[in-house]
Amino acid sequence: MLKMQDVSKVYRTDLIETHALRNFSLEVKSGQFVAVSGPSGSGKTTFLNVAGLLETFDTGIYELDGQDVSRLSDDARSRMRNEKIGFIFQSFNLIPDLDVYDNVDVPLRYRRMKAAERNQRITKALELVGLASRTKHMPSQLSGGQQQRVAIARAIAGDPALILADEPTGNLDSLMARQVMDLLEQINEMGTTIILVTHDPELARRAQRNIHVVDGLVIDSAPYERRLGADERAGAGGSMPA
Amino acid sequence: MTLNLRPLLSSLLRSRTGAILVALQITIALAVMVNAVWIVSQRIADIEQPTGIDDDHMFVVAIAGLGSGFDLSSALAQDLAYLRGLPGVVAATATESAPLTGDGQGTQLFLQPGQRGRSAALGVIQTDTQGLRTLGVSLIAGRNFRPNEIQPFSKHSLEQSVPEIIVSRALAQALFPESDALGKVVYDGAGRPMTIIGVTHDFMGPVGLGNPKYQTALYPKTPGEYGAYFLLVRTVPGRLDVLMQTAERHIGASNLDRVIFFAHPLQFYHQRMIAENRNMAIFLSAITAMILAVTCLGIFGLATYNVSARTRQIGTRRAVGARRRDIIAYFMVENAFILCAGVLAGCALALATGYWLSVRYDLPRLDLYYLVGGVLFLWIVGELAAWQPARRAASVAPSVATRTV
Ligand SMILES: Nc1ncnc2c1ncn2[C@@H]1O[C@H](COP(=O)(O)OP(=O)(O)O)[C@@H](O)[C@H]1O
Ligand SMILES: [Mg+2]
Repeated sequence: MLKMQDVSKVYRTDLIETHALRNFSLEVKSGQFVAVSGPSGSGKTTFLNVAGLLETFDTGIYELDGQDVSRLSDDARSRMRNEKIGFIFQSFNLIPDLDVYDNVDVPLRYRRMKAAERNQRITKALELVGLASRTKHMPSQLSGGQQQRVAIARAIAGDPALILADEPTGNLDSLMARQVMDLLEQINEMGTTIILVTHDPELARRAQRNIHVVDGLVIDSAPYERRLGADERAGAGGSMPA
Repeated sequence: MTLNLRPLLSSLLRSRTGAILVALQITIALAVMVNAVWIVSQRIADIEQPTGIDDDHMFVVAIAGLGSGFDLSSALAQDLAYLRGLPGVVAATATESAPLTGDGQGTQLFLQPGQRGRSAALGVIQTDTQGLRTLGVSLIAGRNFRPNEIQPFSKHSLEQSVPEIIVSRALAQALFPESDALGKVVYDGAGRPMTIIGVTHDFMGPVGLGNPKYQTALYPKTPGEYGAYFLLVRTVPGRLDVLMQTAERHIGASNLDRVIFFAHPLQFYHQRMIAENRNMAIFLSAITAMILAVTCLGIFGLATYNVSARTRQIGTRRAVGARRRDIIAYFMVENAFILCAGVLAGCALALATGYWLSVRYDLPRLDLYYLVGGVLFLWIVGELAAWQPARRAASVAPSVATRTV
């Protein structure tokens, strides 16, 4: 599904260069549920942005769904985001002036789908997240957890192969966080690859695979239990390269 | 392009205050622009309109008597005799109305006594048998006044009846659109009958007295009931300045019971008329330009505000698949909705204003081509004003969606 080899990404400002990703290598197979963790500023969001074609990278190779994406035009990247990727953001990013139905509709309209098919997909997605009865609600009339579920519906309505979620539970209390996690697991079981950035070890533990990022490097991509074991053996709370 | 009209419109309607204000601005701009351009075009046409009189070779002297001892009747007769005797003077006459000015008598004529029937507003020039020659106006039908038809000076000349009049063709047509005016009887406001004995080419008498400017009549009548009169003099080419100076000096010295207010070539008034039209055209153009500029600023400001207030939303749209041109289209179409609302209301306001102006100031009714042109122009300018903000919106990076908390 996703294959990165020695990908690097540098942010340059007048004063400093930040190496947000360096020789970042990772392969994620189709259907996997991957949790990404790491300290703040380690490059998790940068990785997700590069993976989701929201940002370009400087060197290395990145293949998404078997396609080299480094040469794609801006329009082609938009199209790929629209058709292959669903995004879930920490702060939901619903469009405040549109109701629930129209929010889920946004990516489908950019795909120029027929109204009947859009309607069917929107209804299905909202049913899955349990908000089929709230189509006319505005985002401001919903709780955080409900808003995030609308965002999930928006992400899955287009049937993407890959879902990228950047701390989707960061703004939610633990009960709502667990509901969101349940939904993501359910979506994963239906075959969608999911990459989830999270701080929460309890949520990370539920993923098939855990990736730890420090300083723009993947330092461990073992399942959570194994990594925890390794950390304990090293006698450190954080994670250092072995 | 993926336009998404319905959600766009419902989103626009949810935060509509700014949009309504800008639409209102567009409404006013369209109404002002269309009518101003219309009036300017009229004024420019006015500048090119012929006066119909030989104003290049005419001058006017304004005279007023001082005190009760002034014998206006004999002074006036002396002045005319003197002027008509001057070599180089083609003709001269005395009147209360100076052509090409607002200084004179305006009145109305009716087809039936008692102020009934069709009526027309006109400027009146009191004159005698030399009136036509002095003005340089020729008859197209009928005859000039005869000496015995000229009413003598009276202190109460408003009560004098004027049985014969000569009218301009414009006035004849206003009174008798279907038939020949010559020989017809018309009535003044007091119901006194007047026979039209002559019809002239169109010419401007006193203007701006509520009369269309070519609707003029000559009354065979000696002026002076207010103790003042104008002397109108027409000279041969090249002699005007000298003759005006000579006449002013002689008339000023000949009778100390009166004063000369001024002596001016008629060109002075013609130029003043042209300058007034030109200044009005410039003024209206400037106002229109300013209102347009403010409207463009309003459109630009609203679009700029919307773009910056929706940065995160734009990033999110980009993240879920909008191309740059979809974002540009979004803002251009949103702007088009605002323009559309403003322009529709603007058409109504422009027509209402045009109607009101035509009734109130007796202007020709607004030409609809000007409205169509105004709508197209405002539409283009209005979309151009939103172009730069829309471009800026399209340059918002998709990563804004993840980087903004
Ligand atoms: N647009 C940017 N310009 C400059 N530096 C950036 C930008 N975005 C992120 N960074 C830097 O890149 C590094 C990685 O950031 P990020 O990927 O957001 O980390 P994480 O999501 O793991 O907290 C940080 O040092 C951050 O300050
Ligand atoms: Mg982050």
